Amino acid sequence: MIVFDKVNKYYGDFHVLKNINLTINKGEVVVVIGPSGSGKSTLLRCINHLEAITEGSLTVNGISVSDKKTNINKLRREIGMVFQHFHLYPHKTVLQNIILAPMKVLGQTESQAKEIALKYLEKVGIADKAQSYPSQLSGGQQQRVAIARGLAMSPEIMLFDEPTSALDPEMIGEVLDVMKALAHEGMTMVVVTHEMGFAREVADRIVFLDQGQILEEAIPAEFYENPKEERAQLFLSRILNH
Amino acid sequence: MNFSILTNNMDMFLQGFKVTIIASVTALIASLLLGAFIAVLRIAPYKPLNRLGTTYVEFFRNIPLLIITLFVYLVFNFKGITAGTIALTIYTTAFIAEAIRAGILSIPEGQMEAARSSGLTYSQAMRIVILPQAIKVVIPPLGNQFINLVKNSSLVAVIAGGDLMYQADLISARTFRVMDTYILVAMFYLVLTIPLSLGVSYLEKRLAKSN
Ligand SMILES: Nc1ncnc2c1ncn2[C@@H]1O[C@H](COP(=O)(O)OP(=O)(O)OP(=O)(O)O)[C@@H](O)[C@H]1O
Ligand SMILES: [Mg+2]
Repeated sequence: MIVFDKVNKYYGDFHVLKNINLTINKGEVVVVIGPSGSGKSTLLRCINHLEAITEGSLTVNGISVSDKKTNINKLRREIGMVFQHFHLYPHKTVLQNIILAPMKVLGQTESQAKEIALKYLEKVGIADKAQSYPSQLSGGQQQRVAIARGLAMSPEIMLFDEPTSALDPEMIGEVLDVMKALAHEGMTMVVVTHEMGFAREVADRIVFLDQGQILEEAIPAEFYENPKEERAQLFLSRILNH
Repeated sequence: MNFSILTNNMDMFLQGFKVTIIASVTALIASLLLGAFIAVLRIAPYKPLNRLGTTYVEFFRNIPLLIITLFVYLVFNFKGITAGTIALTIYTTAFIAEAIRAGILSIPEGQMEAARSSGLTYSQAMRIVILPQAIKVVIPPLGNQFINLVKNSSLVAVIAGGDLMYQADLISARTFRVMDTYILVAMFYLVLTIPLSLGVSYLEKRLAKSN
């Protein structure tokens, strides 16, 4: 479904992604981990073309992301994205945040879009906040709205970039629970997170990125108990001991 | 001070007052539209457009309005007030473009990214997500630009624009009551600019509260 084939990316002279080969199949949950600055966000952002790759090929559902002829707005309908800092629209209510893209991009009517929005708000457990503004919500609630906003487009893929790292510890669980439920329903997910409990419970694979390279790719049990690469061992010992 | 200057020349003052208002409002509307356009040129993800926008701004805000005014008047041979309004527009556009650009840039990048990643086009994201947030930031500096615009419109007098300042020049030349005339004309400008100034502070306070 998502195929990286010898992908390289540079920021000027800086080689941020190095020869990435990675295939993510439908229904798979892939967790990307690695030290700060290793290129995790960049890898994720290439998938929906928030960043352009420099070399190689990257396809989603067989469609090239970097091809100039690709209608990127159409491709993005299939790819929801959740950010570390939520990025809800502060001048719009929770409900307006969610129905915006379904109405403007998919052409749903307002009543259709609202019905779907409420269904997803229900699902993430905050239907009572539909008329609130983002600033009136806690971080955990905002992130759940952001997930509902992504889901309302009925995407085939959801990307998460450190969705819980800006949250107070007591709110991390509520967001991870929503994501776990999503994973169990068979959503294709690429998640940058250091939450090991989440990774062990739902990830099909862990991808360890270091200085722009995929150093290790393994199932969670194997990766966490028996990392092969020295750098992965070092990294794990650091996140476990902090 | 003797108010007979005012009562004896009321029609000239009022005529000038009207011309000043019309020139200011016309130039304001035109420079708002052009300014928004230039601001988007400067921000759009396309280098040649950026350069075009930057060149416009840097050129016109760094030369005196008087020169632009004389240039438009002499080269295009328009009537004074027309040439003056065009010159005011050209000049003010550069400042308004900068104010709007700063407003857009003050909106966190994540807003555009969230909007684009949901499938909205650049222009939809700009119109629905970015500009409504930017406008709050931009209103106070725009108000200040309008106040400057009203005052700058007095330069139209040098090309016989028929505005307040021009009428004042005529009256003072005829009556030799120079001080009285210009004090009166200053009051006419204040009648325009003080409410604007108060309006700007009011909006500033209200917008600060809503955040
Ligand atoms: N727009 C940019 N221009 C230049 N360099 C950039 C840009 N964006 C990111 N980088 C650099 O690329 C590298 C990878 O960044 P990236 O954000 O992908 O890392 P990350 O693994 O997500 O890190 P973190 O854990 O801190 O989020 C970093 O060294 C960063 O400084
Ligand atoms: Mg990152």
